[in-house]
Amino acid sequence: MTKASNRYPSRRDVISGIGAAGLGATIAPRAFAQTKKPVNLSFWTFDNPQQRPWVHKRVKMFMEQNPHVKVDFQWFAFADLGKKLSVGFATGTAPDGFVSQDWFMPVWLDKGLLAPLDVKKLGYDNFNTFTSDYARAFVDGATKDGKVYGYPMWFYGYCNYLNTKQFKEVGLDPDKDWPQNWEQLGEVAKKLTIKDGDKFTRQGFKFAMHAAQWTMIQFNPILIGAGGKWFDESGKCIVNNEAGVRAMTIRASIAQKYGAEDPADSIATNPIPAMDFLKERASMFFCHPMPIDLVKANNPAMAEQNYFRPVQYPGSVTGKGISTTYGFNLVINAKASDEKQETLHELYKFMMADLVDAWRDAAPFTFAKKTGWADNAEVQKFPYVNEIIKAKDEGVFLPRTLVFNELADAVHRGVQKIMLTKADIKTTLDEVAAETDRATAAYKKA
Amino acid sequence: MASLDIDTPRPSALRQYWPGTRKAIGLMLLAALAFGFIIPILWMTVMSFQAGEKMFQLRTEWIPSVWHFENYPNAWSRAPFGQYFLNSGIVSLAVMVGNVVFCTLAGYGLAKFRFPGSGFVLLLILSTLMLPLEVTLVPTFLVIHKFGWINTYQGIVSPLLIDAFGVFLMRQSMITIPKDYLEAARIDGAGEIRILLQIIVPQCWPALSVLAIFSFRDSWDQYLWPLTVVSSDALRTFPLGLVQFGEDYGNPPTEQMVIAVLATVPVFLLFAVLQRSINRGFGLSGLK
Amino acid sequence: MTELASIGQYESGKGTGAEPSARPFWRLGYHSRVSLWGFAFVLPTLIFFAVFKYGPMLWAIELSFTSYDMVSSPQFVGLDNYRTLLSDPIFRETLLNTFYYIAGSTVLLTVSGLGLALAINTGIPGARHCMMVMFLTNLMPIIAVCLVWRLLLHPYGVVNQILQPLGFGRIDWLTNSATAMPAIIMVTVWRFAPYFMVVFLAALLALPDDYYEAAELDGAGPIRRFCHITLPLLMPTIFFVVVVSALLCARIFLMPYLITGGGPGNATRVLSMLIYETGFSYLKMGQAAAISVVLFAIMLVFTTLQMRLFSRSERIYA
Repeated sequence: MTKASNRYPSRRDVISGIGAAGLGATIAPRAFAQTKKPVNLSFWTFDNPQQRPWVHKRVKMFMEQNPHVKVDFQWFAFADLGKKLSVGFATGTAPDGFVSQDWFMPVWLDKGLLAPLDVKKLGYDNFNTFTSDYARAFVDGATKDGKVYGYPMWFYGYCNYLNTKQFKEVGLDPDKDWPQNWEQLGEVAKKLTIKDGDKFTRQGFKFAMHAAQWTMIQFNPILIGAGGKWFDESGKCIVNNEAGVRAMTIRASIAQKYGAEDPADSIATNPIPAMDFLKERASMFFCHPMPIDLVKANNPAMAEQNYFRPVQYPGSVTGKGISTTYGFNLVINAKASDEKQETLHELYKFMMADLVDAWRDAAPFTFAKKTGWADNAEVQKFPYVNEIIKAKDEGVFLPRTLVFNELADAVHRGVQKIMLTKADIKTTLDEVAAETDRATAAYKKA
Repeated sequence: MASLDIDTPRPSALRQYWPGTRKAIGLMLLAALAFGFIIPILWMTVMSFQAGEKMFQLRTEWIPSVWHFENYPNAWSRAPFGQYFLNSGIVSLAVMVGNVVFCTLAGYGLAKFRFPGSGFVLLLILSTLMLPLEVTLVPTFLVIHKFGWINTYQGIVSPLLIDAFGVFLMRQSMITIPKDYLEAARIDGAGEIRILLQIIVPQCWPALSVLAIFSFRDSWDQYLWPLTVVSSDALRTFPLGLVQFGEDYGNPPTEQMVIAVLATVPVFLLFAVLQRSINRGFGLSGLK
Repeated sequence: MTELASIGQYESGKGTGAEPSARPFWRLGYHSRVSLWGFAFVLPTLIFFAVFKYGPMLWAIELSFTSYDMVSSPQFVGLDNYRTLLSDPIFRETLLNTFYYIAGSTVLLTVSGLGLALAINTGIPGARHCMMVMFLTNLMPIIAVCLVWRLLLHPYGVVNQILQPLGFGRIDWLTNSATAMPAIIMVTVWRFAPYFMVVFLAALLALPDDYYEAAELDGAGPIRRFCHITLPLLMPTIFFVVVVSALLCARIFLMPYLITGGGPGNATRVLSMLIYETGFSYLKMGQAAAISVVLFAIMLVFTTLQMRLFSRSERIYA
């Protein structure tokens, strides 16, 4: 019996057992539960080899302890969850509760599809105590008008992963020589590059080129570091201003100026963007926290000898990070009945009550919550875990805009044109800004 | 009655009187062509027996140094693939039967009967192939929802039950049947259904077999529609399972190739069975 | 519409309908009865389509005049979606790409399908087994196809490994805007040529022998036999293959999406991908419907043209 089920009936017990105080203490929570109305919930989440089984485990545990609750637990491929939810909302068949990927929150919130959460039911006194317990970047995305709409689960930042074996091979010391700014990144990458004539045997650094989301994730820090912004106050896209051009030049410099990368040469796939790094064809790669299983499945030697390590993004100044972060929230469908909403609050609270257990199952994915897990000995055992936590704590979210997908696609196309067809940077960025402005205008009109 | 057997030389065949050596050269060329075609499939099959790290190596190891036969039971056990394959099988069989029955009827109607507007009807039927699936997903889902068929087999099967492609195929194959046979049979007093079953169908056996295979295969491959209409793991079809499996980065990537190989088997078996009837049919000359 | 009506007419010289008053009563009943049967055979299909296809299609067309984000109800906006399309450079580029893709794939699919069928239909022992083996390319799950081809078409992948000794330099198949679309066309043809090969083969096997026997007696060589007998007799099948492959290519989406994602830049973005992105990524279903209607109109015109082109050839089967 966990704390949750002990506490809940005991309060009710006091109220209902006032006439039978003697019996109150002996009424087991199970007997109490039998008098509750059955609740059927539907809950959807995305598939992930570590995270989903853990969530499922917690849901099953909750059902065991609350026999009157039945949760229809379903999961879908990561890219498909958004689609399923959209179709669900369009047809009135959306689930009662689900996991929302962070970047969808603006859309759900704008359309009023989520129910506000009662932070008291989640164990917090008020809005402020809740928001201060979570990473700031998360809070920005899940709250609106003083109300909370998402209960955060995992939330992680991107780090620069180094292949320490290759570093040492060329005489670099990963502890001292890890790139701290973009010029250093270029220089270090150049040293690590091995070419065989025209062909790259090893690229010093690799940018992900396979999906729009990743292009944004990896370009955002560069833009911010160069002092650029995506939108100005009026909502116009200004990625093509002087700072933006500078940022894109930096982005292109690794391949074009330092000769350390071949954009056309990549074996990255959608599920595993880090494939080039894992296959040791690239020495450095910006990635989300990499589970050991992932490394083991593709490069057992790297996993065993542990010669991969995360460091902060170039240009990160302590306290003022620029690493990209994103996460996942537990949310509630606004159309769910009050009873279902209440049960969902209990479920969510229970799910996130044991973060160390979650870490055990799904390391090294970090959580948005600041307290209650990071200092735990088990967590600290994980190699370089503090770098990962730091990236998450100090990172920034991708631009929160209602036309995020259009922006991402435009930037992705632009980067492809610049890197693969050697297009002019300013012209391409002008196109990107124009496209984004068109999308914003279309959204406003709708 | 001449039999339409691909193995015996036919007058219409391009070169029917080849001496032995020419035949051997021809066979070698054909085999080389076939081999070239299936290099990707060979790659996929070889990879299904390899260890996970070998998957993304650009210098492929075509003959595995170590055969990892355990990939097969391992991959199978990671998700309820038995259930997924069963679901796909049920759906595809139903779609196949539906297509064979209704496309034959409709194709026959369009090919051999001149009712006013039959050309327009053909265009109307073909028009269902012209609008991409993505925009009709939501309204089709709503129709199925109205019948109460979400998350059911009939929900997945229904929109796929008759395919315009099948109607078109049967029409084209039936056009070549001379009308005289039909008229003769009608004058003899045969009912329309009898004519259909005893004269038309036997002559279109090759096209029917093609239809059966293609409709089975098309529905076996469906991804977007089952994804939309199914929200329960118990009813997932195998393409959904395969995609999810691919996202499971903790497993050796070569196991995904295992599932891909296994997915090819049922349709291939069906094809192996039916390709004989594509080749055998009743020649028309015998009826003269 | 006279051309279209003529397709429903198989007896050259006879009229499209009977003049009731000029014919004896029993004949009138017979012809109408037979025609009615024809319509009855088609009816179940039409009813089915009305429910599951035409309903949703009409809804989609209606949607193209609205702004619909899936989660709130559609709002009427008239021709706005279409106006946006006209001024959108991405749409124009995508449209051209689509034409390029459909044209290239259709021609190659028809030619290679027929070529492969002719190659198999030579009476060589073992040809049948080669056919079966080649058909496998059509059966490979699309996810596996895209994964495998991305690796094969990698700058250092198997395809380049084969081409290099032949003197070709490194070809960045999927990241060079000149070769990206040809690569996608190549994969499409690879996948579907065996499909059409089987269709052509079934048709070749059904050709009546008499013409060929007569031609041989006349001393016609294989080329003449092919051009003057086989080709004309195959016209219905060629019509079928051209139309079906064009319609298929217009709708194909997963293959270019998974292999290049529309890149580099916009080089391989086709309309079906744009529709998917606009509808499901940008949640602009109304706009996506408008693009679909444009695609629909293109394919309708194309198919009608094909029907006119081929209707004459079907007269020989009177």
